[in-house]
Amino acid sequence: MSRRSERWSPLLAARRAAVDALIALKERLPEDAYRNPPTAVGYLLLVPALVLVGFLFVGMLLLAWYSVLTFDPIEILVYELTLENWRRLFATTGYHVIFLRTIALTTVVTVLAVALALPYAYLTVRVRSAPLRKLLLVSLFVPFFTGVIVRAYGWLIVLGREGVVNAVLGVFGIGPVRFLASEGAVVLALLQIMLPFAIVMIAPAIQNVDRELELAASNLGADRLATFRRVVIPLAAPGIAGATIVVFTITAATFAIPDLIGGGRVDFVANLVYRTLFDSGNYPLAAATSVALVAVTSAVVVGIFRTIGSGTLGIRRGGGGG
Amino acid sequence: MADRRRRLRALLRRLPGEYPVLGAIVAAQVVFLLVPTLIVLVASFQGGSVIRFPPDELSVQWYAALPGEERFLAAFYRSVLVATFCTAVAIPVGIATGLGLIRYEIRFAGGIQLYLLLPFTVPLVVSGVVLLLIFRELGVLGQLWTVGLALAIINLPFMIWSVTSRVNALDPELEHAARNLGAEELQTFLHVTLPALMPGVITGGLIMFVLALNEFLVSLLITTPNIVTLPVLIYTSIRANVSPLVAAVASVYVLAAALAVLAADRLVGLEEFLRS
Repeated sequence: MSRRSERWSPLLAARRAAVDALIALKERLPEDAYRNPPTAVGYLLLVPALVLVGFLFVGMLLLAWYSVLTFDPIEILVYELTLENWRRLFATTGYHVIFLRTIALTTVVTVLAVALALPYAYLTVRVRSAPLRKLLLVSLFVPFFTGVIVRAYGWLIVLGREGVVNAVLGVFGIGPVRFLASEGAVVLALLQIMLPFAIVMIAPAIQNVDRELELAASNLGADRLATFRRVVIPLAAPGIAGATIVVFTITAATFAIPDLIGGGRVDFVANLVYRTLFDSGNYPLAAATSVALVAVTSAVVVGIFRTIGSGTLGIRRGGGGG
Repeated sequence: MADRRRRLRALLRRLPGEYPVLGAIVAAQVVFLLVPTLIVLVASFQGGSVIRFPPDELSVQWYAALPGEERFLAAFYRSVLVATFCTAVAIPVGIATGLGLIRYEIRFAGGIQLYLLLPFTVPLVVSGVVLLLIFRELGVLGQLWTVGLALAIINLPFMIWSVTSRVNALDPELEHAARNLGAEELQTFLHVTLPALMPGVITGGLIMFVLALNEFLVSLLITTPNIVTLPVLIYTSIRANVSPLVAAVASVYVLAAALAVLAADRLVGLEEFLRS
């Protein structure tokens, strides 16, 4: 080891003292406790995470309970059980439209995001040129790390009345065209938000595809498209499943893009929940709507689990790289 | 003739790079990903008070105005605090969970994993509503730490993933070797186990921090006017009017993202993020 670390420094001395104290403390325990840690330690290690996630678990139960409480415009919450919120949710056509729109547009975004992520992830993993790979990684992570609001703002600037696209169209004497407040604009913006998620989920799966198998396929006469379709995609199926689930659940719960880009014309369920919560203060109805959203997305996720498996979402033990 | 055609095809294949068709599709995607992100930078140098393309004139007046914008500065400060708190909570929890899940024989491990995925399977807006209800019932709504805690909860799976992949990659024989060479259990943990987990901890910590800095929807639901974080304030400002001042504020985010990407590349390499 390097001699440098042997030199005395207050920080090092303090660290050693701390470790010595810890060791002394540990020595007091019965020897078995640290030499062969009992399984109980394993459970103990899980407690913090279980408690944190417990907030959501308990909260979901609380939510279910709220959804059968009575709303009162003055007292807000009356602790009397009722099915009124659920009846209203099922009986109002406006709510059906929002739920159906959420599912339909989310499906479109999910399919497009996964389809576009496949070539991107593949090229990022396989490209030989290092600078090119870096460019692909940077263009993936800078938007990913920039957040939804800033990018929604970016889309407003791109698609707005005096935005970039209309400026370009204006050169050709077209427009100005109104792009905002349409389903197409919402899908486009959502796609840009979700694409990095899909790529990040799919790339590890492609990394695990043995390159030799692709070479074998092309030796056997398959062209690139056939190799991609018959070899890469089936082997990357776990990643595709993971990406589909992640993109679907995040998109189905999206709020910012429909609100800012959709301009109130392309509301998703999240916008409905927000309005119910803050405009009318109807907590029970908002709770019922939330529970319904969970039910719908869970049904889709279970469907994907059944058809392509849990994919990369599961935490695996052992094996190459986990 | 056949020879020439073969040579032409070989040349064609080389000309636009390794993967011509794939390359073209991906190049379009790069533009698609970057333009709405970087356009904010361009807009922030707008001279006039209306965002317009092409810009009337270039100016840095909106950046010059930033130090005087106390609302934005306070919100930025709160966002940094919240992200720090969130990361500080998530790191130890992530390490403990990773070690517990992989190193110990846990009964119902499958069920526990499914449970720990709850933050991802519950739609974000619902998580926000749920946390709003809980914090309200507990009477702590409107305290800044609740936002940090909420963000630690909703992004926890990222941390757990990053750490477990490292625990998996760590060969237990290394720890045995350290112990055979006379290292204490604690020394082994501090000098062998923890450094081996570090890339996972850094990756996970960075993801937690940046996501918390950017988080919008849950923050929108659980922040009260006194504790709004920067993304929430940007949102309310956009709804009010699309002033280039907001673009200057938003540019700070693009810069922070670029810095984070740079840091990630230096510390662990960006490729590390694409490993499962």
